[in-house]
Amino acid sequence: MSDDADVKATPGRKRRRDTMRRAALVTQVDEGPEPGTLRSGRRRVLIAGAHRLVAVHLIEHLLADPNVDAVMAVARGACPPSLLGADPDRFHFVSADLSKRRQVDNLFLLDRFRDKPLDTVVHLAFNGDPLGYTQRNHEFNVNSAKHLLEASLRHLVGKYIFLSSDAVYRIGARGDYKVREDAELNLDPSVHPILRDTIDAEFICRAKMDDLETEIMVLRPSGVFGGGVISGLNLLFESNPPVLPVGFDPMINPTTKEHLSRDLMLALNLHGKGVYNVAGVTVGPLSKFLEERGIQPMRVPGPALKLLNRAQRMLGMTRYHAGFHPRRLYYSLVLDDSRFEKIFRANMSRVPALDDD
Amino acid sequence: MLGRKRTKKYAKPLLPPREWARVESYALDDAGFGTDRFGTNADVLGLGYALGYWLHKHYFRVVSTGHDHVPKKGGGVVVGNHSGVLPFDAMMIATDVFRHTDPPRLMRYMVDYFVYRVPFLGVFFRSMGQMPGTRANFDGLIEEGHLIGIFPEGAEALGKTADKAYQLYPFNPGHVELAARHGVPVIPFGLVGAEEQINMIANFEPLARILRMPYFPITPTFPWLGPAGLLPKPARYFITYGEPIDIDPAVLTSIETREREVARVRDAVIELLDEGQRTRKRYAEGKVP
Repeated sequence: MSDDADVKATPGRKRRRDTMRRAALVTQVDEGPEPGTLRSGRRRVLIAGAHRLVAVHLIEHLLADPNVDAVMAVARGACPPSLLGADPDRFHFVSADLSKRRQVDNLFLLDRFRDKPLDTVVHLAFNGDPLGYTQRNHEFNVNSAKHLLEASLRHLVGKYIFLSSDAVYRIGARGDYKVREDAELNLDPSVHPILRDTIDAEFICRAKMDDLETEIMVLRPSGVFGGGVISGLNLLFESNPPVLPVGFDPMINPTTKEHLSRDLMLALNLHGKGVYNVAGVTVGPLSKFLEERGIQPMRVPGPALKLLNRAQRMLGMTRYHAGFHPRRLYYSLVLDDSRFEKIFRANMSRVPALDDD
Repeated sequence: MLGRKRTKKYAKPLLPPREWARVESYALDDAGFGTDRFGTNADVLGLGYALGYWLHKHYFRVVSTGHDHVPKKGGGVVVGNHSGVLPFDAMMIATDVFRHTDPPRLMRYMVDYFVYRVPFLGVFFRSMGQMPGTRANFDGLIEEGHLIGIFPEGAEALGKTADKAYQLYPFNPGHVELAARHGVPVIPFGLVGAEEQINMIANFEPLARILRMPYFPITPTFPWLGPAGLLPKPARYFITYGEPIDIDPAVLTSIETREREVARVRDAVIELLDEGQRTRKRYAEGKVP
C-alpha cells in the first residue's frame, strides 16, 4: 500500500499534497542541468567585441568546431581582417553599437537566426582603454552590458558569458596567496572608472544569475599574454622597457590568449553558471616571467613610477597605464581557478572540438 | 630578485657542507620558476638559512630542547612567546626547527601586514615562505601539511618594555580555532633570551601611528645611534618545545571552551618559559657543559 493511499483525500490535504508536488517540481527545475555536462544541440554563438584578439581567437576556434552552426561577430566598424575569409554560411559579421538597445535587439531578430535562434552570447565588448576615458565610454560599457544581457534573457538564450577582469579584486599587503571568487572586490571610490564599470557589469549579471532559462557566467581571467593583447600585464611586458617599483616582485599566474579562448570554449559548451576565475598554470614572481622572455625591466622608486610611466606613454614607449591598477606592480594577485578546473577543464573530453588539447 | 648563482655564491660559504646538504634536501613543491605557490624560493631560503644558521650557532648560541615534540610530517601550529623589539626570536625558532628536524621542516609564520609594504623586506619574507596573516593563507598552508608559527600575543608584544620582561600579553584565540578547524596539534614553546637582546625603555606611540608600525622603540641606543642602535646584544637563547596539545574541537562552538583551551596553551608556554629560565640559570652556574 502506498503512502499516498494512507492519506485521506480530503480537499485540504489534496491541495497541500498538490502544492508539495509542485514545490518538488520547482526544486527539480531550480537545480537545472548538472554543471560540467555537455549542452545539447548545436551552437549558434554571438560574440560581442569582435575586435579583441581573444575574440578573433575564439571565433577561429568556434569555426573549426563542426558542432557550431553559426557565429555572429559584432563590433563597431569593419570586420577584423583575419576573419574576412571565414565561411560565409557559418560566419556573419554585424557592425552595431551595443550601447543602443534597439540595435542590440535587432541582432537577435535577423532572418538567418529566425528558425535557429542564437543559443549563446559571449560579451567581450568592454571599452578598456584607460586613456581617453570619457562619459561616452562609460555609457557604452554599462549600457552594452545591460542591453546585451536583457536581450539574451528576452530571447531565451541558453548561455550568457561576460568576460570580466582580475582587476576587480582588491589587492594589498594583506593578500591571500590565492584569490578565490568570493574575495573582497575593489570598491574603493577612487578606482579607475573602467574598473567601476566592470564591477557594475558584473553586478548586473549577478542580479540575474538565478534565471531558469539562461545560464549566466562571469569569467575573471588573470592577466592575458599574447602579441597585441590589450591586457594590463601584456602592455607592461610590451613596454620598452617595463618600469617597475624597486623592492617589489608580486606573484602572478597569467594566462595566454590561446588558453583563455579554450576556457571560453569550455564555458560555452558545458553547463554551469556563476562567477569563475580563470588563470594560467604557472605561478611565479613577475620578475621571473620577464626574465623568461628576456625582458630587462627598469626599477624605480615607487613614487616616481607614475611620472615615468606618463613620460613613457608620451614618448610612445609604452601603452601600459600605471594608474589603472596601481597596486598591481606591488602586491601579488594569484587567482584560484580550482572551481573552473573542477567543473569545466576536468570535463574537457566532453567537448569534441577540444578533445585533442 | 637575486639570481640563483649569486644566492648560492653568498649562501654556500656561510654553511658547513652538512647544513648546505640540508638546504638542498628541502623538498620545495615547485609551481614554476623555482618557487612554490606561496612564493617560497629555494635559493632565497638557502640564503636565509645561512644567515639564520650563523646567528643561531655563533651569535645567539641557541640551546634548545624538546625537538622530538615537533611533528616530523603533517600540519601543526607552533605557538610561543614573542619579544625582543626585532623578531630575531621568530628567525631563531625557524632556524632551530629547520636544523633539528629530519627531513628539514620550514616554519611558516603568519606575519604582520606592514612588513609587505616595505620594499625588499616583503619580497624577502615571502621568498622565505613567510605569509601575511590571513585566514586563507593559514588554511592553504595547513592543508598542505606545513608547520605554522603564530605568536598569539601579536606584533605589539615585540615592543614590550624592559619592565614587562617575561610577562605574557593576553593570547588571541585564533591559533586554537584554526588548529581545531583543521584537526592539527598546537606545539608550544618558550623562548628565553630575546628579552635581553634589546633593552626597550619606552614606546613612542605617536610616531608609531604615523609610520603605521605596531610600536616605535626608544632604547638606550635607538634612535640616537641610528639603525645601528637596534643591533641586538648577543644574549644566549634557550628554546624549549613542549608536548603537542590536541585542541578540543568544541572551541569552534563554545566561548568557554575556547577560553579554556587558550589558557591551556598559555599555561604551557609559561611553564616552558620557567623551564628555559631554569636551564639558563644552570648554564650561568656552569652546571651544564
